[in-house]
Amino acid sequence: MSVGVTSLSLTDMKEKLKALIDRKQLASLEACVRCGICTESCHYYRSEPRLEHTPFYRAEQLRRIYRRLLDPIAGRFQRRGDSGTASAELLRRLADIAFSTCTLCQRCTLDCPFSVDTADIMRAARSLATATGSAPQMLVELADAAIVKGENIESFKDFYLDQVKELEKQVQDRLGSSRARIPVEKEGARMLYVPLSGAHTIVPQAVLFNLAEESWTLSLFETSNYAYFLADTSRASRIAQRIIAEAERLKVEEVVITECGHGYPVMRWEVARWLGRRLPFRVRSVIEVLDEYLQKGVFRVSPKGNGTPVTYHDSCNLGRKGGLFEEPRRIIRAVAEDYREMNPNRIYSFCCGAGSGLVAIPEWTDIRLRAGKLKAEQIRRTGARIVVTSCDNCRHQIGELNEHYGLDIEVTSLSELTVKALV
Amino acid sequence: MPQETGASVKLNLEGLLCPIPVVRVSQAMKDLPVNGVLEATATDPGVLTDIPAWVKSTGNELLSMEKKDKVITFTIRKAK
Ligand code: SF4
Ligand code: SF4
Repeated sequence: MSVGVTSLSLTDMKEKLKALIDRKQLASLEACVRCGICTESCHYYRSEPRLEHTPFYRAEQLRRIYRRLLDPIAGRFQRRGDSGTASAELLRRLADIAFSTCTLCQRCTLDCPFSVDTADIMRAARSLATATGSAPQMLVELADAAIVKGENIESFKDFYLDQVKELEKQVQDRLGSSRARIPVEKEGARMLYVPLSGAHTIVPQAVLFNLAEESWTLSLFETSNYAYFLADTSRASRIAQRIIAEAERLKVEEVVITECGHGYPVMRWEVARWLGRRLPFRVRSVIEVLDEYLQKGVFRVSPKGNGTPVTYHDSCNLGRKGGLFEEPRRIIRAVAEDYREMNPNRIYSFCCGAGSGLVAIPEWTDIRLRAGKLKAEQIRRTGARIVVTSCDNCRHQIGELNEHYGLDIEVTSLSELTVKALV
Repeated sequence: MPQETGASVKLNLEGLLCPIPVVRVSQAMKDLPVNGVLEATATDPGVLTDIPAWVKSTGNELLSMEKKDKVITFTIRKAK
């Protein structure tokens, strides 16, 4: 029997679910006792207390589908005629919940006595939705465009190189030196730096790399990987492969990822797991490189360059999942006069409300602005006028929270803050 | 808001950073009839590669793309 929106037979859906869900996700599904301890851990619930905003409610939506299709005991007690349309409706609902009301931030796992990983359960739900054609079309388009770019790089290269030449001029103007360079495709460079699309993740970093006399080369590709948000490992691997192939061809020692939340864990941990092989280069975030420059005194900075109060938002991917807590704080303390912690912070930081692809779906702007209320309140309490964060997604969201909640702040990156402090 | 001119639409994407220009273009194209033309201006240099890649992957047609000073102007025909 075909089922509504997905046009999938129940048997097909069952086979897909069986193939997609792993034992860790199953363990999380089974371990939850619905005690509700995690309720207050979720920024959605804290911003808008409703049952649908609790982590266990979200997980329950996948659990119901799993029980209906795959659980040998629960399946026996299923009512006759209770499967086809009902399952299609559950699937549609699941996709909506997994993509729009869970940012996969893992904040709730910290408070769960059984370490139930609701984010991982929602990742399984996203996989199922993607495999059954129910994922948000915009994420699919962005992922496919990245793959097309990788497969046709020769036809896009001229546009890109023209752009880089112009950005190089900006770097030269900033440094007052015509010798400053943005190298591209430089074989044997020590480091391949992977930016995002656009100047803001190329120019400030190029200024700092030139000052440090770094041996580097700029990637032809951007670090963002929208297939990761789709929980589509096959497409996500193809997007990441573009960078791996480039790094191997240029024989670099390390790949340095720009200030991007998800781009860092994808390249640092996930892709090696997906491909089943170790990468022949080290992977670091540009935050770690900047921190090292400042610790070694590679260039001079003065905190006077940033005199207004500054706070830092720990992106979930770089902080809770990536462990980069002290590096950003050391950088800010070196380049700004008045650093103020947001509370809670570090591993207990709350999501900005727009992680895991929400920012790219215009229909969900209202949802993410409402979910960001908690973050807006935290920022306001610090009294800071500058909010620094090392994820483009978070920067975009906090910029919109600024307008929506009237925060009167400037949002920037660690690289831009450092450039302002150069002496 | 896109400004409609017959079977064409104009978008101002200046000041927006990637991927938002691509997102706005995709949204606006949905409302265009087949053969309708979208014309947009943007300032983020990322669109110089992101838009051609998106156009190719979605099967549309990039009619023109040029950069003057800081402003990039491009036109896309909706092919299907
Ligand atoms: S996820 Fe953990 S804390 Fe939350 S309801 Fe389930 S068992 Fe309780
Ligand atoms: S992972 Fe984050 S957004 Fe999802 S349920 Fe847990 S706390 Fe909420």
